[in-house]
Amino acid sequence: MTKAKTGTIVSALALLASVGWAEARTVCYVTAADAHAYATPANEALEARAEELGIEVITLSQNFDVQTGTQQLNTCIARNADGIILWPLDPQAYIPGLARAQQAEIPAILINSPMDEQANQFILSFTGPDVYEQGGMAADSLTDVLGGEGSVVVIAGQAGNGTTIGRVGGFVDRLAEIDSKIEVLDTVNADFDQQKALVVSRDLITRFGDGIDGVYANDDTMARGFIDAWKEARPGEPMPPIVGINGQRDAFESIKSGEMYSTIVQSPVEDGKLAIETMARILDGQEVGARLPIPLTVVTKANVDSVEPAF
Amino acid sequence: MTVLVRLVRYRVAVILGLTLLIASLTVSGFPSVTTLGLGLDRSATIGIIAIGMTVLLIARQIDLSVGSTFALAGITAIMLQPVIGIWPAALAGVLAGAAAGAFNGLLSVVFRVNALVATLATMLIFRSVAHWLTDSQPVPGTDIMLSLALSTVHLEIFTLRSALFVGSILLLHFWLTRTVAGRNLFAVGSNADAAEASGIAPGRTVFLAFVFAGTLAGVAGVLQSLTTNTGSPVFGAELIVTVIAAVVVGGTRIEGGRGSALGTLGGVLTIAALTTAMEFQSVPAYIQQVVVGLILILLVVLDRTVRPGPRTHAAAGVPG
Repeated sequence: MTKAKTGTIVSALALLASVGWAEARTVCYVTAADAHAYATPANEALEARAEELGIEVITLSQNFDVQTGTQQLNTCIARNADGIILWPLDPQAYIPGLARAQQAEIPAILINSPMDEQANQFILSFTGPDVYEQGGMAADSLTDVLGGEGSVVVIAGQAGNGTTIGRVGGFVDRLAEIDSKIEVLDTVNADFDQQKALVVSRDLITRFGDGIDGVYANDDTMARGFIDAWKEARPGEPMPPIVGINGQRDAFESIKSGEMYSTIVQSPVEDGKLAIETMARILDGQEVGARLPIPLTVVTKANVDSVEPAF
Repeated sequence: MTVLVRLVRYRVAVILGLTLLIASLTVSGFPSVTTLGLGLDRSATIGIIAIGMTVLLIARQIDLSVGSTFALAGITAIMLQPVIGIWPAALAGVLAGAAAGAFNGLLSVVFRVNALVATLATMLIFRSVAHWLTDSQPVPGTDIMLSLALSTVHLEIFTLRSALFVGSILLLHFWLTRTVAGRNLFAVGSNADAAEASGIAPGRTVFLAFVFAGTLAGVAGVLQSLTTNTGSPVFGAELIVTVIAAVVVGGTRIEGGRGSALGTLGGVLTIAALTTAMEFQSVPAYIQQVVVGLILILLVVLDRTVRPGPRTHAAAGVPG
């Protein structure tokens, strides 16, 4: 009788504990997209690491639409998640949502892309690559290969996206800083999309042709678009040196074959893992740094065989 | 059969009820006042634009440019803030929406360009103007505190814009069902020639419908920009599909002459409830769109096959 009673109490406690544990650790993850060369492996890494840490993740995909994302923040709050990881696609638009999360005492961090300083009071941390630094590294790389002068075109990501702003801004600022003789002919948006990059590259090649001494693409996907456009418009002619970012596998192939000059490895796996690990520490009541970067490596033909591609 | 017909007539309410019921039973934490309040807020943007779209569809017109107008109005309202102050700038944003609508109306009525083609063109033009004005960068507003104030939830349910949406849809219901102008709109949509013969000016009606739709897209855009403290050239790029889906789910016909405000309210709420419920369960975005698409098809097919309805409406206007 007593034994049965104890057993009941123990199992009741176990049940309570398991319910409490399950409820205590639900993280709402508002990601940029769910089918994208960079975002998908980052999402998968985040979810896999969350499972190891015993955290349940609700993944909501904005599909690159800011409007959707601001609404999804509301869903996270209504769902009463224990933490929010936001992949911002705009430097301002999510601030009211983040403020609302703060009112509801839900801790929030940013993954991958930065927001404006005004957002800082509503977030505990920002984990992800330093995109501004990447822009600078890309400028250095292009300076190296061009010998410090020439005319280049910039194929930028989605307008207004923090990653785009950082990667373009870091690039332009570094060129100004070293008083470079490299001139930017034009900067066009291709939304991190290979097909759009192909279309804008055709236009750039038609407009500037041989005037293009170098190309800076905000990511390797768009660099691929330029390569295809060049091959189509000027088959057999030497390609201007192209600098990309992300370090994807096909960019490594292009560097080996000489179609691309360099890329910067930024691992989506590290990106996703760092975000959920940071959130786990917050949920455990630990202090976290306000800015947690992931490592970056410039890859050229010189080291392409010794570095692992990001994805 | 009568039961079936009745079910079909109120199919939006049935689908909405089913969605809410299933979501409440299967999704933990779904049935709560917070969910309702935030769900209404998310419907507000789509809903305010859908009001204008309902009127246009009834008049047998369409406006594909509402998403671009939405962005343009928001940008106007934010960019003019430092120049003329927040509220005059907001008004200017709404007027920009009205002007965009008037331009569409002009193309459609005076130059007789098919509405689909005209607004497809202006969709591209307005979007490009938005990019050009902002240099493709989002523009921050001057007062972040205002956006925090605007997103406050009152009475645990309404934000400013969701209250505005619900209020407007009731006004639209009254206007469509109780006023001569509202009935004229249906007449123009069913058969413009017959309407003209009976003394209604279809051109004027259609023109005003475009201005109305543009203005509401402007209102939604200004509210969105004030709430997010940002004027962005990429805002509203995905809106049009959802808006049309919501209106059509609500039983308004793309062929004109039939539709209702309460139907649109039901359509907007159905899509918001479906999306929220699926987000609660972390259903991937592409599956969500498949579900919304299937429901759209289901409702339209039901409408076509079951309803014995007065399909002769248009024919009745032609003598002989």
